Amino acid sequence: MKFLGYILRNARRNPVRSLLTIGSIAVCGFLAMVLLSLFSTNTEVRSTLVPFNRVITMSAQGFTQPVPIALVREIPAIDDRSGIHAIVHRESDDKPLVSPFSWYGGKFRGESATFFAQFGVDPDTLFDIYPELTIAPDQLQAFKERPDGTVIGRKLAEDKKLSVGDSFELKGEIYPFDMNLTVVGIFDGPEKRDLRTCYFNWNFLNEGLKRDFQGQGANNSGTVLMRCKSDELVTKLCAAVDEDTKSSDRATKTQTEDAFVSQFSEMIKDLQTYINMVGLAVAFSLLVICGVAMAMSMRERTSEVAVLRAIGFQKGQILFMVLTEAVLIAGIGGFIGTFGTMLLFKFWDISPYTMGFFPFFYIPTTVAVTGFLVSLLVGLLSGLIPAFRASSLPVIDGLRKVV
Amino acid sequence: MDREAAIVLRHVTKSYRRDQIQIPVLSDLSLSVEEGEFLALMGPSGSGKTTLLNLIAGLDRPTGGEILVQDNDLARMSDGQITKWRSNHVGFIFQTYNLIPVLRAQENVELPLLLTSLSRKERRERARTALRVVGLEGREDHFPRQLSGGQEQRVAIARAIVTDPYLLVADEPTGDLDRVSAEEILLLLEQLNHEFEKTIVMVTHDPQAAKRATRLLHLDKGKLVADVAQGRDVRTAVQPENAS
Ligand SMILES: Nc1ncnc2c1ncn2[C@@H]1O[C@H](COP(=O)(O)OP(=O)(O)OP(=O)(O)O)[C@@H](O)[C@H]1O
Ligand SMILES: [Mg+2]
Repeated sequence: MKFLGYILRNARRNPVRSLLTIGSIAVCGFLAMVLLSLFSTNTEVRSTLVPFNRVITMSAQGFTQPVPIALVREIPAIDDRSGIHAIVHRESDDKPLVSPFSWYGGKFRGESATFFAQFGVDPDTLFDIYPELTIAPDQLQAFKERPDGTVIGRKLAEDKKLSVGDSFELKGEIYPFDMNLTVVGIFDGPEKRDLRTCYFNWNFLNEGLKRDFQGQGANNSGTVLMRCKSDELVTKLCAAVDEDTKSSDRATKTQTEDAFVSQFSEMIKDLQTYINMVGLAVAFSLLVICGVAMAMSMRERTSEVAVLRAIGFQKGQILFMVLTEAVLIAGIGGFIGTFGTMLLFKFWDISPYTMGFFPFFYIPTTVAVTGFLVSLLVGLLSGLIPAFRASSLPVIDGLRKVV
Repeated sequence: MDREAAIVLRHVTKSYRRDQIQIPVLSDLSLSVEEGEFLALMGPSGSGKTTLLNLIAGLDRPTGGEILVQDNDLARMSDGQITKWRSNHVGFIFQTYNLIPVLRAQENVELPLLLTSLSRKERRERARTALRVVGLEGREDHFPRQLSGGQEQRVAIARAIVTDPYLLVADEPTGDLDRVSAEEILLLLEQLNHEFEKTIVMVTHDPQAAKRATRLLHLDKGKLVADVAQGRDVRTAVQPENAS
């Protein structure tokens, strides 16, 4: 500890070099944090979905292929016929909680891309399928009644400064049909849900397609969403539905909501290997960057180290001081890169730019701590060679360099 | 003999290996330095003055023979022991001052005290005292680059004496200084020798500087060619055999 003052002075000796080293570590730390957190965030979103026992039926050919809207009625029939009785029925009117769930993908008010999710749904059942989403009863009523009505998440309303009564246009990117929707309600929900989604009446889209485009693409839904009673029944229902449609030309794949969501991360799963490799490469190049900086720095100090040794500093003390300096510099960079990034995403919500794929994004503490520890390790390793070189140079050779 | 032999060299040889060839630098050199002596080492360039000084100060090891400093056999000590011994008993003064540029004068002087168990406050006080001895009061917070060469060398002397070593070694301490600054440094060394009874071994090329010492050694091609007592304490050259 007595040496700390001296070590700090040494670290500040060449401020430009130290700052560049710290900067490159911080930038690498930032990138590593973002990449590593993509996966953990996704895992967390999925885990919040599990308790609701929701099931999604999509085309066996993948979620880009629609399924016939008739499935909304047929699936509860299959459920009854097979005696599984998995689907929850509403108490008041015994209506099965099933809804079309159709990705629209339109550009909001002339924006350059789709920045939030839009789904065509059945206004009557949606909020029973999503009990964790809350909406005022009169707004829900308006949603059920008004054909061009839409309900939007609280965050979307805040972002786009939309309130009930406002209208906006969505320019279809997948469908040829542009929609003019009117906000009839704003829903809220748990922190870790996507509160930037826009739900509208599936019928509105369908009627539009029928009216303006000779029914091209009509009577289809991207997927069908339903809510089940328990996870044992879920498995049975999935098997029964897929079995029933297997031999037809509209074979389906039915799975739990979290399995459905995880498809998107499955797509980037292959990336994970690459990301890990990139991470290793980054760590290695950091090692080289820090090692070179430290070696340069120690080379300039050869005679000083010899003087220290002459006046009685032990080899081990020199080793300790050089390593501490290296760890300190790497640690500062690592701290900024990891905890700085964590702080950044605490206050900066990137979900508006992710089309709902990342309804929230943050750096988990474990990821940040791991990254920070790695930076310390990088510092330690990068300091090893310069430290050993400095501490084991014979004193008289070091002193001779002076003259 | 009223003084004890502080440093005794017996049949010391030193050669450096360069590739396969042994380059002899010192050959069969015997010498005894008494406590409180101010020894000047002169000789042509390459004669082995620095080499001899390094051996006496425990920075280097002889190829043959033995070196006893205050009854310690330097050749038998481990690297760690000899380093510790240096920190307690030897003060170093270099031609190029060799201060740490990122440390203030005060901190440079304190540096050797970091190796002791002294408290922060004690270290401060000692360093201040040492700076006072060399006449640099009020310069504690200056960085080396803010000081003149002579002042830098005085900081270096303060650093050398702050642990109160009994031996000071100085390799051409006035080599980089102008006449006036050199004079100040030599006066200071004399004073340290007189008043504080430090044993001093100083290498110099300057005959004027050498005159300040109590004893003058001439080295040529690794051999002692002259050993002259001079100044206030006139004695004849001492052979190591009858000195011990
Ligand atoms: N580490 C070393 N390796 C090889 N040769 C060395 C080494 N150190 C010194 N020498 C050689 O030993 C001889 C004596 O060197 P030394 O530095 O002791 O001379 P010096 O009397 O101090 O000279 P100067 O007055 O120029 O400082 C020189 O020939 C030098 O080349
Ligand atoms: Mg020399």
